[in-house]
Amino acid sequence: MAMINNVRNTVLAIINKNNYGYLSPQDFNLYAQQAQMDLFEDYFYQYNQYINRENQRQSGTGYADIVKSLEEVIDSFSVQAFLTGGTANRWALPADYYLINKIFHYPRLLTNGTTTSSNTNQLINIALAGQPSPPAFNPIGTGFSPFPLVGSLVVNTDTLTESFVNSVVSVDTLNLATNIFTSVVVPPNENYSIFDANTIVEVERVSQNKLFYLTSSTLTSPSTLFPAYVLDGNNITVYPTTIQAAGAVKTQYIRYPKAPKWTFVSIVVGEPLFDASAADFQDFELPLSDEPGIIAKICQYVGIEIREAEVYNFGTQEEVQENQIQV
Amino acid sequence: MAYITDYQYYENNNVSPLEKNWGSYQYVSLEDIVSNFMLIYQGNNEILNNLERYQVLFHAKRGIQELNYDAMKEIKILQLTVDAQIRFVLPQDYINYVRISHYNNGVLFPMTENIQTMWSSAYLQDNNAKILFDLNGNVTKPENSLVDLSRQDGGMAQMYLGTGPYNGQMGYCCNGEWFFEYGIGSSFGLNTETANANPSFTINKEQGVIYFSSDMSGKSVVLEYVSDGMKNGNDSDISVNKLFEEFIYAYMRYSLLNSKYGVQEYIVNRARKEKTALLRNAKLRLSNMHPGRLLMNMRGQDKWIK
Repeated sequence: MAMINNVRNTVLAIINKNNYGYLSPQDFNLYAQQAQMDLFEDYFYQYNQYINRENQRQSGTGYADIVKSLEEVIDSFSVQAFLTGGTANRWALPADYYLINKIFHYPRLLTNGTTTSSNTNQLINIALAGQPSPPAFNPIGTGFSPFPLVGSLVVNTDTLTESFVNSVVSVDTLNLATNIFTSVVVPPNENYSIFDANTIVEVERVSQNKLFYLTSSTLTSPSTLFPAYVLDGNNITVYPTTIQAAGAVKTQYIRYPKAPKWTFVSIVVGEPLFDASAADFQDFELPLSDEPGIIAKICQYVGIEIREAEVYNFGTQEEVQENQIQV
Repeated sequence: MAYITDYQYYENNNVSPLEKNWGSYQYVSLEDIVSNFMLIYQGNNEILNNLERYQVLFHAKRGIQELNYDAMKEIKILQLTVDAQIRFVLPQDYINYVRISHYNNGVLFPMTENIQTMWSSAYLQDNNAKILFDLNGNVTKPENSLVDLSRQDGGMAQMYLGTGPYNGQMGYCCNGEWFFEYGIGSSFGLNTETANANPSFTINKEQGVIYFSSDMSGKSVVLEYVSDGMKNGNDSDISVNKLFEEFIYAYMRYSLLNSKYGVQEYIVNRARKEKTALLRNAKLRLSNMHPGRLLMNMRGQDKWIK
């Protein structure tokens, strides 16, 4: 059962007064988005509050571990994505990020190239044979480790999708865990990079006013082992400036929740009928436990819209009560 | 850093340099120190929070530098031949010397630091001792001062010079061994601080060179020195002996707490005491007091002292 339909039905029931309280689907969707954003942002402030309480020994463990449940909700919005390289050491951040939690870098580029053929779950590059570091395979167990090692990270640097090496088939073919080379053009000519998946370093955020002190100090100057970045606009500039390899920089971030959309089919007479199968349908992304909060928020907006103070007050009181319980 | 296989340890997975991992288990890398510290000692529920990694890195490196100065016995050794000006340029990572020896025919002769002045700068002067200036108003300088020249040509009298291995005394040579009727080297009024027949040296820290007495011209010198462990800025090479690992964490905790606003004094003091105690422990550990070695030292207890 879609949560958004429950919320809408409840809101309609609350605002219904002598059959004249009505909320159009378009208005509902607007208020639903606002309400969700409001509660979403609240999670971060609550998280901070509960951390402080933990440190004052006012929060427990087990079922009383509120921080854990808050983390779970926030983590449900966690996304990892490779950054798109711009010029030199500048990288573009994803458009839907709310909070960049970390940027990380794969410093060990094992090899890179362009595919010459495609097959499901395989990387094929016939030009690899004869190059300084072609794949080394181990068909009869000669004791040599295959190259690249099983588990190495393969990045399609055109689509910025990733997979892992499952096995080395021959000097020009690798078996991958997932299908990331999907071009149907012949030859596909998709670019890729292969990194050591076990060597990952975090790129540290530095504020702009500290950057020059950082780079000019011999002790703290950014290195490939301890890189740093500054944020400007929707881009980051990574130091040392040598970090430029495509697919080498990735981020883990918290994205904005998607805008909820109550979709419907119109009927000639009566209420529009809820349709969860529409392509643009989007349910709330917050957990079910937030339903009362979302309803209270929407009621505040609707109370203003229909100039009904009681509805607005109800929404406000509900929210205050909810907050008091949490305190 | 993850544990490595035997093959990786002995042969570095057949990648040059093969000996890269030999003895590596004694050390913990800077990368590990910083990662462990960020993971264990800083966070929402720890004494330290809201730390930037570069702060942790800074104090980790400072701790390693301090250890290198006075606790670790990571001595580096460099052998070079002195140049035409009878000097030895200090290595790039030089911090302080431990011992400087003259290497001759397979024997290392420890040298004494000369407390006399062995170099000087000079200004060009005219016959009336007036200083000469160039067109820009700067003073003009000769390449070498008279003190420098006399050190190089051996004209500089030194209180360190003896007259030879046996002070020129009369004795008897029997089967290649010299015997004397009285103790050699006894000299009334001898300044024991400077009594050494070997060549001497003095260090000009500002110029970054070691000057030697003129008898060292063209000779080979072995410099034992300590560095600060920063490996010429290559972070991935920086490491510290595991015997010091706990001290490094304690040092970092103390330094960070000490420089943080609003930390109670008793917490800072606790960290300071812990750091000091751990340094003492680590020094004891590194002093390598093995029973076998003590036994060898004690074997000299019955030796007659003339």
